[in-house]
Amino acid sequence: MEWANDGKSKGGVLAHLERLEIQVNRSRKNLEDPQRAQAVESALGTKIHKLRCLRDELRAEVKQRQARVKASTVNVEPDQTLEISEQEVAERRKENVKAILQAYRFTGLSGKLTSRGVCVCISTAFEGNLLDSYFIDLVIQKPLRIHHHSIPVFIPLEEISVKHLQTNIQHFLFCLCEYLNAYAGRKYQADRLQSDFAAFLAGPLRRNSLCNLLSFTYKVEPRGQSFPFCARLLYKDLTTALPTDVTVTYQGMDALSPAWEEQRASHENLFFSKPLHQVFTSFARKGEKLDMSLVS
Amino acid sequence: MDTQRAEVRALEAEIAALRRACEEPRAAGEDTWRAQKSLREMYQSDSEGWASSKDLRSHLGHLESELLFLSTLTGISVRNYSMKTEDLTNTEKKEKSIMKVLQRHRLSGNCHMITFQLEFQILEIQNKESLSSVITDLNIIMEPTEYSELSEFVSRAEERRDLLMFFRSLHFFVEWCEYRKRTFEHFKEKYPAAVHLPEGAASSCMVVRSACQPGFELVIIWRVQIDEEGRVLPKLDLLPKAPQQALELDRNRVLETAPLSFRALLGALGIEAALESLIKSLCTADYD
Repeated sequence: MEWANDGKSKGGVLAHLERLEIQVNRSRKNLEDPQRAQAVESALGTKIHKLRCLRDELRAEVKQRQARVKASTVNVEPDQTLEISEQEVAERRKENVKAILQAYRFTGLSGKLTSRGVCVCISTAFEGNLLDSYFIDLVIQKPLRIHHHSIPVFIPLEEISVKHLQTNIQHFLFCLCEYLNAYAGRKYQADRLQSDFAAFLAGPLRRNSLCNLLSFTYKVEPRGQSFPFCARLLYKDLTTALPTDVTVTYQGMDALSPAWEEQRASHENLFFSKPLHQVFTSFARKGEKLDMSLVS
Repeated sequence: MDTQRAEVRALEAEIAALRRACEEPRAAGEDTWRAQKSLREMYQSDSEGWASSKDLRSHLGHLESELLFLSTLTGISVRNYSMKTEDLTNTEKKEKSIMKVLQRHRLSGNCHMITFQLEFQILEIQNKESLSSVITDLNIIMEPTEYSELSEFVSRAEERRDLLMFFRSLHFFVEWCEYRKRTFEHFKEKYPAAVHLPEGAASSCMVVRSACQPGFELVIIWRVQIDEEGRVLPKLDLLPKAPQQALELDRNRVLETAPLSFRALLGALGIEAALESLIKSLCTADYD
């Protein structure tokens, strides 16, 4: 029998089994003998007992090994995956926080911590158009101090900071936002008028640095022979992008015909209520309609 | 005897199988062990890897504190943000020098008790001379609040695509509402018997009643309005209530002109002092 031969070389339990086997074989030869048969039977019983013991031993060993392998995979590998995923989570969170910090510019106020305080960036826009941004470097100590800034000199920064900087920094920053956005809005309108509606302007557009006083001469029909209107727009409130005072005068004639007077008054109303370039867009549209009516 | 022999054979087979099983896991186990070892070595030799993980953590900590600082500074906290870009550059030769990129942004967060969710598109056009960024579409979703004044303002901001105005006005609006609440609470505390806040301190209504003068009532309606340009302004009105008899006796039309007088009072004294004098005028007896 194979296992017996195998057992020989291994010794121990198997060698013992081999001896038992030989005993069995011997006893087989004496089958006729009931005594011998009895002996064979008891020998088989002993063999089964020994084999069972061996099997149980092996079963236990296999179980142990499996447990060890399992433990090693549980203990070490998940540890590592845990480490990696933790790092991944941190990496993802970092990218997310970075993006959110960037996104703050859409609120109008974003910033970066410095060694002494914070450098705040103030974004400006007029309606949907994203315009310039300005920075103000604040030293956080008592009292709060402005270290550097890129805010134009004509913005009343001193006045705003005296009012609010020490008492309510949030209010201070939003006030500054209001001033800067209104300035950006006025400048944007004046720029658009110059660049997009130059054909309507008779002569240059005059403005002060704050862009809160604009004056220009314009014609409603660029190619028409009409006399020009003179407009003077004043923005007394520096936090607005619509004028507080509008005067439109008619050049050329002392006395206006009722039709011209009506037009002059309607222009004043338009300048009060609509951004400058939008007023001229409406002039241009009317002009087109006029052209069309001439053609047809 | 046959059954015994069969059992012997079964046991032998099982033992053989178990021996094989004993060999295999040992090899497999060694493999995983080796793999772990090499992984560990890889990590350890890659000292930069460890360092970067440490750096990452401190960098993340720094960014988180920056975010916290910024949300405290602005009073606006942005919780989630994502952006997708789409290249719209025309590949035709004529327009090659003009780059067009469409950005789709999603942003959500809150300004004090008001939560918002924004979706907006920005079209960036870059040519040789200039770069222009224009918000082409703005959607603002806000959870319904007790502040009905906001809905009209929100649709105006959407219409004008004025994102910055939205945040600026929201800030000033919330600031005014907080101030109103503090003021109402202050008077309720100071004059608990006379001052009533029927809809709570966060509402726009304060009622003054005197125990000595039943039937008389001063209702103060304090609204926070946002104008066309997004500027936030308080608007206070006085509604006096008096018994019919008192109205008949009011020869000098004091009650009728009270709302206008209140306006003048506000202009001269400011909100807090005007309210204080109003309460005192009705309830002198109660607090003397």
